Amino acid sequence: MQRAFFCLVAALLAVLAAPAARAYDIDYADDRPEALRACDESLFRGQRAESARCFAALLGADPDPRIRAEASWALGNVVTANEYFQEAFDTYPDDPRLRVRWGKLFQATFADTESQVLPLYREALALDPSYVPGILALAEVAAGRFEGRAREWVDEVLDLDDEAIGAHLLLARMELEVTNLEAAEASLDRALQLIEAKDHPPLEVYALRASVDLLRDVFESPWIARALEYNPSYGNAYAIPAHFFVITRRYREAIDFYQRAVELQPDLYTAHTELGVNLLRENRIDEAFSHLVTAYEGEGGYSSDKTVNTLRLIDSFENFTVEFFASETEPRGGGEGVILRLHQDQTEILTPYVLELINDSIVTFSERYAFEPAEPVIAELYPVAADFSVRTAGLPGIGLLGVTFGYLVAMNSPPPGLTGDFHWGTTLWHEIAHVFTLEATNHLVPRWFSEGVSVYEEWSSGPLPGRHIPIHVLQAMAEDKFLPIAELDEGFIRPTYENQVIVSYMQAGLICQYLASGFGQEALVTMLERFREGDDTAAAIVAATGIAPAEFDRRFAEHIEAELGTVLANLEPWTSAQMELQQHAQAAEWENVSAVAERAIELHPGYVEDGSPYLFLSNAQRELGDETAARETLLRYWQLGGYNPAALTRLSQWLTSAGDTENAIAVLEALVLVSPLDESVHSALGDLLLESRPADALVEFSVLAALNPHDQASINLRLARAYQALGDIDKATEYLLYALEIAPNYREAQQLLLEIVR
Amino acid sequence: MKRCAILAATALALQAGPARAELFYLIVGGLGGNPGYVERFAGDAADMAVAAERTLGSAERVRVLVGDNATRDALREALAELATAASAADRLAVFLIGHGSYDGTAYKFNLEGEDIDGAELSELLAAVPAQSQLLVNMTSASGSVLEEWAAAEGRAVITATRSGAERNATRFAEHWATALSAEDADMNKNGSISAREAFDYTARLVADSFETEGTLATEHPQLRGEAAGAFEVSRLTARVALTPEVDALNARLAGLEEQVAALRTRREELGDDYLPQLQALLVELALVQEQIDEATAE
Repeated sequence: MQRAFFCLVAALLAVLAAPAARAYDIDYADDRPEALRACDESLFRGQRAESARCFAALLGADPDPRIRAEASWALGNVVTANEYFQEAFDTYPDDPRLRVRWGKLFQATFADTESQVLPLYREALALDPSYVPGILALAEVAAGRFEGRAREWVDEVLDLDDEAIGAHLLLARMELEVTNLEAAEASLDRALQLIEAKDHPPLEVYALRASVDLLRDVFESPWIARALEYNPSYGNAYAIPAHFFVITRRYREAIDFYQRAVELQPDLYTAHTELGVNLLRENRIDEAFSHLVTAYEGEGGYSSDKTVNTLRLIDSFENFTVEFFASETEPRGGGEGVILRLHQDQTEILTPYVLELINDSIVTFSERYAFEPAEPVIAELYPVAADFSVRTAGLPGIGLLGVTFGYLVAMNSPPPGLTGDFHWGTTLWHEIAHVFTLEATNHLVPRWFSEGVSVYEEWSSGPLPGRHIPIHVLQAMAEDKFLPIAELDEGFIRPTYENQVIVSYMQAGLICQYLASGFGQEALVTMLERFREGDDTAAAIVAATGIAPAEFDRRFAEHIEAELGTVLANLEPWTSAQMELQQHAQAAEWENVSAVAERAIELHPGYVEDGSPYLFLSNAQRELGDETAARETLLRYWQLGGYNPAALTRLSQWLTSAGDTENAIAVLEALVLVSPLDESVHSALGDLLLESRPADALVEFSVLAALNPHDQASINLRLARAYQALGDIDKATEYLLYALEIAPNYREAQQLLLEIVR
Repeated sequence: MKRCAILAATALALQAGPARAELFYLIVGGLGGNPGYVERFAGDAADMAVAAERTLGSAERVRVLVGDNATRDALREALAELATAASAADRLAVFLIGHGSYDGTAYKFNLEGEDIDGAELSELLAAVPAQSQLLVNMTSASGSVLEEWAAAEGRAVITATRSGAERNATRFAEHWATALSAEDADMNKNGSISAREAFDYTARLVADSFETEGTLATEHPQLRGEAAGAFEVSRLTARVALTPEVDALNARLAGLEEQVAALRTRREELGDDYLPQLQALLVELALVQEQIDEATAE
């Protein structure tokens, strides 16, 4: 309840709060005025009183609004700083530096990047296209968004000015993000050399050197000590390295470092926010809330979207149910059990399926990867995609389906109705595989391998049969766009072309499949063991396969050629056939549709995604009056892993009509993993299960009841029948009475009631 | 729910009487404007006509105007004929499918040629003596006539939108057509679908369709008029010939239904005794129904 009032209380505090200390980063630009640099020394030494006196003196004495703006900002008065920047803008319309610094102020106060920050940087470059701080500012924004062009801009800066300290530091950060530690060190050495020569504070270099140590598993880095010697209250000595823990998914270590950061510097509010977000990833909700509130209050009305959105998300948790299922309870799972956090409107509907899938996956992966979860696996499903995005990144619109933070998995809930937007069962399976790869390696697994195992497990043990490779990935493969294994992480972290992340997912999955088929499942287990010991990809590959990465790449290419060479060679004629299919289908030329669809299937038999030729063929066969052939085609489509809900619904109806109850049940059970919120799936499945598996029928009817269908009398009759089949006559009678209470003339219910009482 | 059960029971009792009121249907598929809508409106009208004919057992009192035949003059003429043919004891169901508009003052139903406005339609409908009227306006902006049309006594009015401001093409008609033949729309399982049941079912399908698409709903169906609960708009099963024996059984059935409805109001008061008492009544009711089924099967 206390949290529910958060927004009101926080809004009040935002109004009352005095301007707070605001991130004032080191400005390495050569054109930074001397007057400001004189005050920087005390500021970055942590001598707050002295620096405040220095900047306050500037504010009172210097008539230049640009200096006053900087002084106000350094003193934490961002509103005043903004006003001085505005005044300076009118007075010095041709000053590119002014625009860059104003943009930095906007960035520090979490203004909108597209509409407020970037226009200022672009204006600066319009005034002076080779203005180094301007280009660098664009590079920093791009790097923050993990965009490939960040590197191009840094290169441009260094071409213009090899002594641009900020460029060397940014380069080091980018190298660290892809764990190129030697390259990062070289950039940091150069940056430190320049910093010392130009007498700038070395704090950032020290923190980044500590990050290098941390990525080498040296947690007590001497560089942190050096930073704190320079400035005893420099929270970023821990917060900067913590960022690299986060992006390598070592959330527990990140939490530890952020905690140290805020202990050293309690007004480092960005660290409070990050601490809150990462505590949430560890399911430590109360602590997370506390730090996020600290950030919100401290940021004095200029909070980041991440802070505000995450607080709102925590508020919304009161609409979720949280339930623990021990591994011994039915359906049995392994490990330490499962905790489900589901929206209260979906709890009764999703719990049976989510729990069964997680338990199955735990048992499967424990065996395949020789690792048992040491804590309960927590799964959260969000009906509102924006909430899930906030849960993941603090921001809406990130476009993922699921994410795993360790033992905690968060994902989108299935969409309502009979939509095939995503196969939630496969997504959940994929995410639980991450739990294993992350926890078995103490989060040291590289991104590519964790994704690779998850994709491989989707294909080999997941609820959806078959290997699902999108066409654009096959096209990338045909264009030889796969990366060497030792560089595959780059494809995830800094993609250089559209869809490269998806291409990288598929390459990683294919590599893991190749590892398992060529070197045995134990090769995957060995890889995990080596990663846990701190090996990089190259060393792990050697340990698991006995061959060097370059040789592995060569053999993998041969394997792909053998496995998919024909499909890749057929891509062009297949694409033409698909286009032909669309045209014939639109013109209702069913003979042609049938012929072209069969050709397309021959060229690429495994294609069951959107626009699958199996669907065209089945439609054509039905239109031509051959329902048996149409049914057989859809059956093949489903067996290959097709999951279009409309097609599976039709298939289940045809199978039911044809008396093939076993397959009809299997198809409907598959449909539940796509569209569990659709009533018709559960009613049809329950009806079919009633005779042979009444306990499962009862589950389906209970889920149907939880969906609150329009026809309440009918669902109560179904429940009565399930209880009758299970021999529970009292319950059967009770539900019959509920049915007849709504609909006293309900013949079928009346007949069953008479049958029971007679 | 309670009211629904009582009214349903009343409806059954009335049907059992010797002089049953006649039901007239008028189904109008307005101007489509493009081939897609032309086809859709005609298809919806045809589906509704099938349900109407099944309900009446013939097409005799089902009038359908669609496409080029759905003009202002044709509609006036059809309503004028009904003004002559129908008596006060009869019932009238009017289904308007298509596009409508509202300019802030007047509602217009788009027809081939000249449109007809809401006020004129209101006058024409008032001239039909049938005192029990169900008007289902499924067009865009139909909500603008809701209160005015519903003011007449004995009339139930359903609109696809809640106001004249909801101007997008509606999806109500498609779902209404489904409702008239859907077994699960028959909430009380009496083999017939009341206007209230059809409305509830349709409104839900409309809402679900927007939710499934993940889009904001652009129409919010409305219902006015108590008469909707008793107005049988579609029968799922054929009528059976009545005999004195069946009449007597039906009367007994109606009495038992009233007892069930009365018992339901005492649910909380009765506590644990409620279900046993309900069971006794329902068993008796089922036995009477069994006798009716046997009698009518012969």
